[in-house]
Amino acid sequence: MVSPTELRRAVVIEDDPDIRGLLVRVLAKQGFEVTHAGTGMAGVAEVRLQQPDLVTLDLNLPDIDGLEVCKLLREFSDAFIVMLTARADELDKLTGLDNGADEYISKPFSPRELQSRINALFRRRPSAEADSASRSELQRATEVQQSLLPKEDIRVAGYDVAGLFRPSRSVGGDFYDWYQTPDGLHLTFADAMGKGMGAALIAATVRAVMRSTGRRQDLDGAFAAASKAIATDLDSSNSFVTLFHARLAAATGTVSYVDAGHGLALHIQAGGTARRLPSGGPPVGAWAGTQWPQSDLLLAPGDSLVVVSDGVLDVFESVEAFTAAVLEAAQNQESAQSASGAIMALAPADTAEDDVTVVVVRRLPEGAAA
Amino acid sequence: MEFSYEAKDSYAEVKADGRLNMVSAPKLREFVTDVIAGGSNRIVVNLENTAFMDSSGLGALIGCLKAARQAGGDLRIAAVQPQVRMVLELTSMDKVLTAYPSAEQAFGND
Repeated sequence: MVSPTELRRAVVIEDDPDIRGLLVRVLAKQGFEVTHAGTGMAGVAEVRLQQPDLVTLDLNLPDIDGLEVCKLLREFSDAFIVMLTARADELDKLTGLDNGADEYISKPFSPRELQSRINALFRRRPSAEADSASRSELQRATEVQQSLLPKEDIRVAGYDVAGLFRPSRSVGGDFYDWYQTPDGLHLTFADAMGKGMGAALIAATVRAVMRSTGRRQDLDGAFAAASKAIATDLDSSNSFVTLFHARLAAATGTVSYVDAGHGLALHIQAGGTARRLPSGGPPVGAWAGTQWPQSDLLLAPGDSLVVVSDGVLDVFESVEAFTAAVLEAAQNQESAQSASGAIMALAPADTAEDDVTVVVVRRLPEGAAA
Repeated sequence: MEFSYEAKDSYAEVKADGRLNMVSAPKLREFVTDVIAGGSNRIVVNLENTAFMDSSGLGALIGCLKAARQAGGDLRIAAVQPQVRMVLELTSMDKVLTAYPSAEQAFGND
Protein backbone atom coordinates (compact mmCIF):
# COMPACT_ATOMS: atom_id res chain seq x y z
CA MET A 1 0.00 0.00 0.00
CA VAL A 2 2.69 2.44 1.00
CA SER A 3 6.21 2.13 -0.32
CA PRO A 4 8.74 1.93 2.49
CA THR A 5 10.49 5.13 1.51
CA GLU A 6 7.29 7.18 1.49
CA LEU A 7 6.55 8.61 4.90
CA ARG A 8 3.09 10.06 5.38
CA ARG A 9 2.18 12.10 8.42
CA ALA A 10 -1.18 12.63 10.00
CA VAL A 11 -2.36 14.84 12.84
CA VAL A 12 -5.46 13.88 14.85
CA ILE A 13 -7.28 16.82 16.46
CA GLU A 14 -9.85 15.36 18.82
CA ASP A 15 -10.72 16.07 22.45
CA ASP A 16 -12.22 12.69 23.37
CA PRO A 17 -9.27 10.51 24.43
CA ASP A 18 -10.93 7.22 23.42
CA ILE A 19 -11.84 8.38 19.94
CA ARG A 20 -8.45 10.05 19.62
CA GLY A 21 -6.73 6.77 20.51
CA LEU A 22 -8.82 4.89 17.98
CA LEU A 23 -8.08 7.38 15.21
CA VAL A 24 -4.37 7.21 15.96
CA ARG A 25 -4.45 3.42 15.80
CA VAL A 26 -6.42 3.29 12.56
CA LEU A 27 -4.15 5.83 10.84
CA ALA A 28 -0.97 4.22 12.14
CA LYS A 29 -2.18 0.92 10.67
CA GLN A 30 -2.51 2.70 7.33
CA GLY A 31 1.15 3.62 7.47
CA PHE A 32 0.88 7.17 8.76
CA GLU A 33 3.18 8.60 11.35
CA VAL A 34 0.53 10.04 13.64
CA THR A 35 0.63 12.76 16.27
CA HIS A 36 -2.36 14.30 17.99
CA ALA A 37 -3.79 17.27 19.86
CA GLY A 38 -6.74 17.63 22.21
CA THR A 39 -7.68 21.24 21.49
CA GLY A 40 -8.04 23.42 18.41
CA MET A 41 -5.13 25.71 19.18
CA ALA A 42 -2.79 22.83 20.06
CA GLY A 43 -3.92 21.19 16.82
CA VAL A 44 -3.01 24.22 14.72
CA ALA A 45 0.43 24.30 16.37
CA GLU A 46 0.90 20.58 15.77
CA VAL A 47 0.00 20.87 12.08
CA ARG A 48 2.44 23.76 11.76
CA LEU A 49 5.16 21.62 13.33
CA GLN A 50 4.48 18.32 11.56
CA GLN A 51 3.46 19.56 8.10
CA PRO A 52 1.23 16.48 7.77
CA ASP A 53 -0.40 15.03 4.65
CA LEU A 54 -3.65 14.39 6.50
CA VAL A 55 -5.56 16.01 9.36
CA THR A 56 -8.61 14.59 11.11
CA LEU A 57 -10.51 17.37 12.79
CA ASP A 58 -13.32 17.09 15.31
CA LEU A 59 -16.03 19.71 14.77
CA ASN A 60 -16.69 20.22 18.49
CA LEU A 61 -13.53 21.11 20.33
CA PRO A 62 -13.28 22.56 23.84
CA ASP A 63 -11.60 25.82 22.87
CA ILE A 64 -12.46 26.88 19.34
CA ASP A 65 -14.91 25.64 16.72
CA GLY A 66 -13.58 22.99 14.30
CA LEU A 67 -14.65 25.14 11.34
CA GLU A 68 -12.51 27.95 12.71
CA VAL A 69 -9.60 25.55 13.10
CA CYS A 70 -10.06 24.45 9.50
CA LYS A 71 -9.89 28.06 8.32
CA LEU A 72 -6.68 28.63 10.29
CA LEU A 73 -5.11 25.45 8.89
CA ARG A 74 -5.91 26.42 5.33
CA GLU A 75 -3.81 29.55 5.71
CA PHE A 76 -0.62 27.50 5.71
CA SER A 77 -1.35 23.82 5.09
CA ASP A 78 -2.52 21.93 2.02
CA ALA A 79 -3.02 18.68 3.92
CA PHE A 80 -6.18 16.69 3.32
CA ILE A 81 -8.61 17.63 6.09
CA VAL A 82 -11.20 15.08 7.19
CA MET A 83 -13.82 16.60 9.46
CA LEU A 84 -15.58 14.44 12.03
CA THR A 85 -18.90 15.33 13.57
CA ALA A 86 -21.14 13.60 16.09
CA ARG A 87 -24.22 15.27 14.63
CA ALA A 88 -25.38 13.47 11.53
CA ASP A 89 -27.88 16.25 10.81
CA GLU A 90 -25.04 18.71 10.39
CA LEU A 91 -23.46 16.70 7.60
CA ASP A 92 -25.64 17.97 4.76
CA LYS A 93 -25.22 21.55 5.83
CA LEU A 94 -21.45 21.17 6.14
CA THR A 95 -20.86 19.43 2.84
CA GLY A 96 -22.79 22.17 1.07
CA LEU A 97 -20.36 24.82 2.29
CA ASP A 98 -16.85 25.47 1.20
CA ASN A 99 -15.15 25.12 4.56
CA GLY A 100 -11.80 24.04 3.25
CA ALA A 101 -12.31 20.46 4.39
CA ASP A 102 -11.89 17.61 1.90
CA GLU A 103 -14.12 15.00 3.51
CA TYR A 104 -16.79 14.74 6.20
CA ILE A 105 -17.50 11.71 8.35
CA SER A 106 -20.15 11.35 11.02
CA LYS A 107 -19.61 9.61 14.35
CA PRO A 108 -19.90 6.82 15.13
CA PHE A 109 -17.78 5.69 12.22
CA SER A 110 -16.31 2.32 11.42
CA PRO A 111 -12.52 2.10 11.09
CA ARG A 112 -13.00 0.50 7.69
CA GLU A 113 -15.11 3.41 6.44
CA LEU A 114 -12.50 5.87 7.61
CA GLN A 115 -9.74 3.90 5.91
CA SER A 116 -11.51 3.69 2.57
CA ARG A 117 -12.39 7.40 2.57
CA ILE A 118 -8.78 8.30 3.28
CA ASN A 119 -7.50 5.98 0.57
CA ALA A 120 -9.91 7.62 -1.85
CA LEU A 121 -8.59 11.07 -0.94
CA PHE A 122 -5.00 10.05 -1.57
CA ARG A 123 -5.91 8.40 -4.88
CA ARG A 124 -7.25 11.76 -6.01
CA ARG A 125 -3.89 13.41 -5.64
CA PRO A 126 -1.72 12.64 -8.67
CA SER A 127 1.58 11.15 -7.64
CA ALA A 128 3.62 13.66 -9.66
CA GLU A 129 2.07 16.41 -7.60
CA ALA A 130 2.86 14.53 -4.40
CA ASP A 131 6.44 14.16 -5.59
CA SER A 132 6.85 17.82 -6.30
CA ALA A 133 5.14 18.67 -3.02
CA SER A 134 7.62 16.56 -1.07
CA ARG A 135 10.51 18.00 -3.06
CA SER A 136 9.43 21.51 -2.29
CA GLU A 137 9.02 20.57 1.36
CA LEU A 138 12.61 19.37 1.41
CA GLN A 139 13.60 22.61 -0.25
CA ARG A 140 11.80 24.59 2.45
CA ALA A 141 13.31 22.43 5.19
CA THR A 142 16.77 23.12 3.77
CA GLU A 143 16.04 26.85 3.84
CA VAL A 144 14.90 26.70 7.45
CA GLN A 145 18.00 24.76 8.41
CA GLN A 146 20.38 27.12 6.58
CA SER A 147 18.73 30.12 8.22
CA LEU A 148 19.71 28.78 11.65
CA LEU A 149 23.44 28.96 11.07
CA PRO A 150 25.34 32.00 12.35
CA LYS A 151 25.61 34.73 9.71
CA GLU A 152 28.86 36.24 10.86
CA ASP A 153 32.28 34.91 11.64
CA ILE A 154 33.26 35.24 15.22
CA ARG A 155 36.35 37.08 16.40
CA VAL A 156 37.56 36.48 19.92
CA ALA A 157 41.06 37.75 20.67
CA GLY A 158 43.47 34.86 21.16
CA TYR A 159 41.15 32.32 19.52
CA ASP A 160 40.38 30.98 16.07
CA VAL A 161 36.80 29.78 15.65
CA ALA A 162 35.23 28.07 12.63
CA GLY A 163 32.17 25.97 11.79
CA LEU A 164 31.12 23.97 8.76
CA PHE A 165 27.79 22.45 7.86
CA ARG A 166 26.89 20.12 5.02
CA PRO A 167 23.22 19.17 4.72
CA SER A 168 22.21 15.70 3.60
CA ARG A 169 19.72 15.27 0.78
CA SER A 170 16.98 14.35 3.23
CA VAL A 171 17.69 17.28 5.62
CA GLY A 172 18.60 16.18 9.12
CA GLY A 173 18.12 18.28 12.23
CA ASP A 174 21.70 19.52 12.72
CA PHE A 175 22.66 23.10 13.39
CA TYR A 176 25.21 25.12 15.30
CA ASP A 177 24.97 28.64 16.60
CA TRP A 178 27.40 30.99 18.29
CA TYR A 179 27.64 34.59 19.36
CA GLN A 180 30.12 36.80 21.09
CA THR A 181 29.72 37.81 24.71
CA PRO A 182 31.72 40.32 26.78
CA ASP A 183 33.65 37.37 28.24
CA GLY A 184 34.15 35.28 25.13
CA LEU A 185 31.51 33.29 23.31
CA HIS A 186 28.48 31.03 23.64
CA LEU A 187 28.22 27.97 21.42
CA THR A 188 25.21 25.73 20.80
CA PHE A 189 25.47 22.51 18.83
CA ALA A 190 22.33 20.45 18.32
CA ASP A 191 20.83 17.57 16.38
CA ALA A 192 17.07 17.09 16.38
CA MET A 193 15.74 13.56 15.94
CA GLY A 194 14.52 12.54 12.51
CA LYS A 195 14.69 14.32 9.21
CA GLY A 196 12.86 16.82 7.03
CA MET A 197 10.74 19.79 8.01
CA GLY A 198 9.83 18.36 11.42
CA ALA A 199 13.48 18.15 12.46
CA ALA A 200 14.29 21.56 10.96
CA LEU A 201 11.46 23.25 12.87
CA ILE A 202 12.51 21.64 16.14
CA ALA A 203 16.05 22.86 15.48
CA ALA A 204 14.65 26.38 14.96
CA THR A 205 12.89 26.25 18.32
CA VAL A 206 16.01 25.02 20.07
CA ARG A 207 18.11 27.81 18.59
CA ALA A 208 15.62 30.48 19.66
CA VAL A 209 15.29 29.11 23.19
CA MET A 210 19.04 28.75 23.68
CA ARG A 211 19.61 32.32 22.49
CA SER A 212 16.92 33.62 24.84
CA THR A 213 18.66 32.15 27.89
CA GLY A 214 22.09 33.52 26.96
CA ARG A 215 21.79 36.48 29.31
CA ARG A 216 21.54 34.32 32.41
CA GLN A 217 24.86 34.27 34.16
CA ASP A 218 24.68 30.76 35.59
CA LEU A 219 25.03 28.11 32.91
CA ASP A 220 23.32 25.49 35.07
CA GLY A 221 20.22 27.58 35.58
CA ALA A 222 20.17 28.78 31.97
CA PHE A 223 20.37 25.23 30.63
CA ALA A 224 17.75 23.94 33.05
CA ALA A 225 15.32 26.69 31.99
CA ALA A 226 16.07 26.18 28.30
CA SER A 227 15.75 22.40 28.40
CA LYS A 228 12.43 22.70 30.20
CA ALA A 229 11.06 25.02 27.52
CA ILE A 230 12.35 22.80 24.73
CA ALA A 231 11.04 19.60 26.33
CA THR A 232 7.56 21.11 26.64
CA ASP A 233 7.65 21.89 22.95
CA LEU A 234 8.93 18.43 22.04
CA ASP A 235 6.43 16.54 24.14
CA SER A 236 3.65 16.67 21.57
CA SER A 237 5.86 15.42 18.75
CA ASN A 238 7.49 12.48 20.54
CA SER A 239 10.84 13.81 19.54
CA PHE A 240 14.10 14.77 21.20
CA VAL A 241 17.20 16.77 20.53
CA THR A 242 20.84 16.18 21.43
CA LEU A 243 22.34 19.40 22.67
CA PHE A 244 25.85 20.56 23.50
CA HIS A 245 26.05 24.07 24.91
CA ALA A 246 29.31 25.72 25.94
CA ARG A 247 30.47 29.09 27.24
CA LEU A 248 34.04 30.19 26.80
CA ALA A 249 35.72 32.62 29.17
CA ALA A 250 38.38 33.83 26.78
CA ALA A 251 40.79 35.34 29.31
CA THR A 252 41.32 32.09 31.22
CA GLY A 253 40.49 29.52 28.53
CA THR A 254 37.82 27.98 30.75
CA VAL A 255 35.04 26.25 28.83
CA SER A 256 31.90 25.50 30.85
CA TYR A 257 29.57 23.12 29.09
CA VAL A 258 26.50 20.96 29.39
CA ASP A 259 26.07 17.91 27.17
CA ALA A 260 22.59 16.42 26.77
CA GLY A 261 23.00 13.19 24.85
CA HIS A 262 25.50 14.43 22.28
CA GLY A 263 28.75 12.84 23.43
CA LEU A 264 30.79 13.88 20.39
CA ALA A 265 32.77 16.85 21.68
CA LEU A 266 36.53 16.45 21.98
CA HIS A 267 39.18 18.34 23.87
CA ILE A 268 42.26 18.15 21.69
CA GLN A 269 45.42 19.10 23.54
CA ALA A 270 48.42 20.80 22.02
CA GLY A 271 50.52 17.77 22.95
CA GLY A 272 48.55 15.59 20.51
CA THR A 273 46.04 13.80 22.70
CA ALA A 274 42.27 13.84 22.46
CA ARG A 275 39.79 13.41 25.26
CA ARG A 276 36.17 12.80 24.38
CA LEU A 277 33.68 14.57 26.63
CA PRO A 278 31.00 12.04 27.60
CA SER A 279 27.43 13.29 27.64
CA GLY A 280 26.04 14.25 31.03
CA GLY A 281 22.58 12.78 30.49
CA PRO A 282 19.98 11.82 27.86
CA PRO A 283 18.93 14.14 25.01
CA VAL A 284 16.50 16.95 25.85
CA GLY A 285 12.93 15.69 25.58
CA ALA A 286 13.91 12.02 25.77
CA TRP A 287 13.28 11.37 29.43
CA ALA A 288 11.25 13.40 31.91
CA GLY A 289 12.92 14.67 35.05
CA THR A 290 16.45 14.64 33.67
CA GLN A 291 19.00 17.08 35.06
CA TRP A 292 22.28 17.68 33.35
CA PRO A 293 25.49 18.50 35.22
CA GLN A 294 27.71 21.37 34.17
CA SER A 295 31.34 20.45 33.47
CA ASP A 296 34.42 22.55 32.87
CA LEU A 297 37.62 22.15 30.94
CA LEU A 298 40.64 24.36 30.42
CA LEU A 299 41.75 25.20 26.91
CA ALA A 300 45.49 25.77 27.21
CA PRO A 301 47.27 27.70 24.45
CA GLY A 302 47.34 25.46 21.36
CA ASP A 303 44.36 23.35 22.55
CA SER A 304 41.10 22.98 20.63
CA LEU A 305 37.51 22.18 21.44
CA VAL A 306 36.08 20.19 18.53
CA VAL A 307 32.37 19.36 18.29
CA VAL A 308 31.25 16.96 15.57
CA SER A 309 27.84 15.59 14.56
CA ASP A 310 26.97 11.91 14.36
CA GLY A 311 27.07 12.13 10.56
CA VAL A 312 30.86 11.83 10.91
CA LEU A 313 30.65 9.08 13.53
CA ASP A 314 28.51 6.94 11.20
CA VAL A 315 31.48 6.10 8.97
CA PHE A 316 33.53 4.62 11.85
CA GLU A 317 33.29 1.25 13.54
CA SER A 318 33.72 2.59 17.05
CA VAL A 319 33.90 5.78 19.07
CA GLU A 320 37.62 5.12 19.64
CA ALA A 321 38.31 4.92 15.89
CA PHE A 322 36.29 8.12 15.41
CA THR A 323 38.23 9.95 18.13
CA ALA A 324 41.58 8.88 16.69
CA ALA A 325 40.59 9.96 13.18
CA VAL A 326 39.32 13.38 14.31
CA LEU A 327 42.52 13.93 16.29
CA GLU A 328 44.65 13.10 13.27
CA ALA A 329 42.57 15.30 10.95
CA ALA A 330 42.69 18.27 13.34
CA GLN A 331 46.40 18.16 13.98
CA ASN A 332 48.91 20.35 12.18
CA GLN A 333 46.24 22.46 10.53
CA GLU A 334 46.83 26.09 9.66
CA SER A 335 43.54 27.30 11.03
CA ALA A 336 40.27 26.29 12.67
CA GLN A 337 38.70 26.53 9.22
CA SER A 338 41.12 24.06 7.64
CA ALA A 339 40.79 21.73 10.64
CA SER A 340 36.99 21.80 10.24
CA GLY A 341 37.39 20.98 6.55
CA ALA A 342 39.70 18.05 7.25
CA ILE A 343 37.28 16.63 9.85
CA MET A 344 34.30 17.03 7.53
CA ALA A 345 36.21 15.21 4.78
CA LEU A 346 36.24 12.12 7.05
CA ALA A 347 32.61 11.60 5.98
CA PRO A 348 32.67 11.53 2.17
CA ALA A 349 29.80 13.53 0.68
CA ASP A 350 28.59 10.73 -1.59
CA THR A 351 28.15 8.25 1.25
CA ALA A 352 26.94 10.51 4.04
CA GLU A 353 23.26 9.86 4.73
CA ASP A 354 23.07 12.38 7.52
CA ASP A 355 23.98 16.04 7.91
CA VAL A 356 27.59 16.67 8.83
CA THR A 357 28.45 19.53 11.17
CA VAL A 358 31.82 20.49 12.65
CA VAL A 359 32.81 23.35 14.96
CA VAL A 360 36.38 24.03 16.03
CA VAL A 361 37.32 26.52 18.78
CA ARG A 362 41.07 26.80 18.90
CA ARG A 363 43.08 28.73 21.46
CA LEU A 364 46.03 30.22 19.65
CA PRO A 365 49.50 29.24 20.85
CA GLU A 366 51.18 31.85 23.00
CA GLY A 367 52.85 34.58 20.95
CA ALA A 368 50.65 33.96 17.89
CA ALA A 369 48.79 36.95 16.44
CA ALA A 370 45.02 36.88 16.88
CA MET B 1 12.84 -4.42 8.99
CA GLU B 2 10.84 -7.39 10.24
CA PHE B 3 9.03 -7.65 13.54
CA SER B 4 7.88 -10.75 15.32
CA TYR B 5 6.32 -11.37 18.67
CA GLU B 6 6.26 -14.30 21.05
CA ALA B 7 4.44 -14.52 24.39
CA LYS B 8 6.63 -16.09 27.09
CA ASP B 9 5.68 -17.03 30.65
CA SER B 10 6.32 -13.69 32.29
CA TYR B 11 6.96 -11.35 29.37
CA ALA B 12 6.41 -10.76 25.67
CA GLU B 13 9.42 -10.90 23.39
CA VAL B 14 9.53 -8.62 20.36
CA LYS B 15 12.22 -9.22 17.77
CA ALA B 16 13.23 -6.38 15.50
CA ASP B 17 15.42 -7.64 12.66
CA GLY B 18 17.17 -5.24 10.31
CA ARG B 19 17.89 -1.51 10.41
CA LEU B 20 15.97 0.55 12.94
CA ASN B 21 15.76 3.91 11.17
CA MET B 22 13.30 6.64 10.27
CA VAL B 23 11.30 4.28 8.03
CA SER B 24 11.04 1.35 10.44
CA ALA B 25 10.89 3.30 13.73
CA PRO B 26 7.17 4.21 13.51
CA LYS B 27 6.43 0.58 12.66
CA LEU B 28 8.24 -0.69 15.75
CA ARG B 29 6.32 1.80 17.85
CA GLU B 30 3.04 0.63 16.35
CA PHE B 31 3.97 -3.03 16.73
CA VAL B 32 4.88 -2.70 20.39
CA THR B 33 1.82 -0.53 21.12
CA ASP B 34 -0.32 -3.29 19.69
CA VAL B 35 1.40 -5.87 21.91
CA ILE B 36 0.77 -3.65 24.95
CA ALA B 37 -2.83 -3.06 23.87
CA GLY B 38 -3.15 -6.84 23.67
CA GLY B 39 -2.50 -7.08 27.41
CA SER B 40 1.28 -7.55 27.77
CA ASN B 41 3.06 -4.82 29.71
CA ARG B 42 6.38 -6.57 30.31
CA ILE B 43 8.19 -6.35 26.99
CA VAL B 44 11.64 -7.45 25.93
CA VAL B 45 12.86 -6.06 22.63
CA ASN B 46 15.41 -8.54 21.31
CA LEU B 47 17.95 -6.56 19.27
CA GLU B 48 20.11 -9.55 18.38
CA ASN B 49 19.58 -8.92 14.67
CA THR B 50 19.38 -5.14 14.76
CA ALA B 51 22.66 -4.07 13.17
CA PHE B 52 21.92 -0.36 13.00
CA MET B 53 19.84 2.20 14.87
CA ASP B 54 19.60 5.94 14.21
CA SER B 55 18.04 8.70 16.31
CA SER B 56 14.54 7.91 15.05
CA GLY B 57 15.05 4.29 16.11
CA LEU B 58 16.18 5.42 19.54
CA GLY B 59 13.09 7.64 19.68
CA ALA B 60 10.89 4.63 18.96
CA LEU B 61 12.48 2.59 21.76
CA ILE B 62 11.95 5.50 24.18
CA GLY B 63 8.32 5.81 23.06
CA CYS B 64 7.77 2.06 23.57
CA LEU B 65 9.38 2.24 27.03
CA LYS B 66 7.07 5.11 28.00
CA ALA B 67 4.05 3.17 26.73
CA ALA B 68 5.02 0.04 28.69
CA ARG B 69 5.59 2.05 31.90
CA GLN B 70 2.31 3.87 31.30
CA ALA B 71 0.59 0.48 31.19
CA GLY B 72 2.14 -0.39 34.56
CA GLY B 73 4.91 -2.56 33.14
CA ASP B 74 8.39 -2.13 31.74
CA LEU B 75 10.37 -2.52 28.54
CA ARG B 76 13.88 -3.91 28.45
CA ILE B 77 16.28 -4.53 25.62
CA ALA B 78 18.44 -7.57 25.05
CA ALA B 79 21.36 -8.82 22.93
CA VAL B 80 22.39 -5.29 21.93
CA GLN B 81 24.87 -5.15 19.02
CA PRO B 82 27.92 -2.81 18.92
CA GLN B 83 26.53 0.08 16.84
CA VAL B 84 23.32 0.19 18.87
CA ARG B 85 25.30 0.04 22.11
CA MET B 86 27.43 2.93 20.87
CA VAL B 87 24.34 5.08 20.22
CA LEU B 88 22.90 4.21 23.65
CA GLU B 89 26.15 5.09 25.43
CA LEU B 90 26.82 8.34 23.53
CA THR B 91 23.35 9.61 24.29
CA SER B 92 23.45 8.39 27.93
CA MET B 93 20.26 6.47 27.18
CA ASP B 94 21.92 3.30 28.47
CA LYS B 95 21.05 4.63 31.93
CA VAL B 96 17.35 4.62 31.06
CA LEU B 97 17.08 1.68 28.65
CA THR B 98 18.72 -1.19 30.50
CA ALA B 99 20.42 -3.72 28.24
CA TYR B 100 20.50 -7.42 29.15
CA PRO B 101 22.66 -10.12 27.56
CA SER B 102 19.65 -12.18 26.47
CA ALA B 103 15.88 -11.94 26.36
CA GLU B 104 15.57 -14.69 29.01
CA GLN B 105 17.67 -12.67 31.46
CA ALA B 106 15.83 -9.37 30.98
CA PHE B 107 13.08 -10.13 33.49
CA GLY B 108 15.10 -12.92 35.13
CA ASN B 109 15.18 -11.40 38.61
CA ASP B 110 11.62 -10.18 38.91
